[in-house]
Amino acid sequence: MAQPFRLPVVDSVPKVADEVAVGEDLNFQHKWWKFERIIWSFFILVLLCDVLGLFGRGWLAKAKRSTPDQALTLDYERVERSGSPSVMTLHFGPAASHNGRIQVFVNNEVIRGLDARRISPQPATSALTDGGITYTFDSGSTPTIAEIALQPMFPGRHKIRIQVPGRQPIETSVLVLP
Amino acid sequence: MDTIIRAIVGYFVLLIVVRVLKRRAGSQLTPFEFVLIFLIGGIIILSTVDSDRSVTNCTCAVITVGLLHRALSWGKVRSPKLGAFLDGAPLVVIKNGEWQPEVVDRMMIRPEDIRAAARAQGVSSIEKVKYAVLERNGGISIIPKES
Repeated sequence: MAQPFRLPVVDSVPKVADEVAVGEDLNFQHKWWKFERIIWSFFILVLLCDVLGLFGRGWLAKAKRSTPDQALTLDYERVERSGSPSVMTLHFGPAASHNGRIQVFVNNEVIRGLDARRISPQPATSALTDGGITYTFDSGSTPTIAEIALQPMFPGRHKIRIQVPGRQPIETSVLVLP
Repeated sequence: MDTIIRAIVGYFVLLIVVRVLKRRAGSQLTPFEFVLIFLIGGIIILSTVDSDRSVTNCTCAVITVGLLHRALSWGKVRSPKLGAFLDGAPLVVIKNGEWQPEVVDRMMIRPEDIRAAARAQGVSSIEKVKYAVLERNGGISIIPKES
């Protein structure tokens, strides 16, 4: 059972001019105003980083990687946001085409980690290979473009690997923010 | 689990943003403040429940926020410093009939706010105000000069 409130009824806070019990604490208030200035500077910095794309969907987030022979060029976002859709674009050069077909290996981090929802155009075949999926496209003419629609759900760093078989892979990482 | 973490983060983000916004002198909500409250609240809701709009998820988020609020209220009772951090401290705007310029400037108080508070408390003129105190909730208490 709760104890009755037994403290005496007295002013325990500092009085202004020994007259009015306000409890004003200008020392605290000065510290708070300083803290406010720091917080507002931080907020502006956050917005600036967002505008520049440091948190994804902007200039600094966009990245491009190519293999030395230009068989594959990858346009992607090095910083993604959890739950936000994005597109990873694969540009295939003439060196990627073999007998009228283009094959590309995409590792599981792209499929599961970045939650690849669909790939367009529709590949002629897709086969489960060690650590990922290999897609095969019929290529009429090069350069050819394929797009992978992503909607990453798991925050963290994901190491992705995309490769035209027999060529040098593109290995990079994508940071997914919560 | 994700919802609980998002609710905790959302609560503290909202708390710090609202806290660093200046206290609105007069504590009356104008359309200007309504816009702020609805917009910020709506945005935080989106990230808290995400795409899972089930009753279970929303109930967990509400309980989390309720528990956080209760824990902070408990902390405020036991620690005046935490109370001052979360709610602020009263500030004297007029002392012995004189403006306190630093408080007036930094808290963005207008003479109209003091006049309105004085009228509301039965004081006919700002010249009759001996003390005006900006309270933690944004209200202004007026103590008139003795006639």
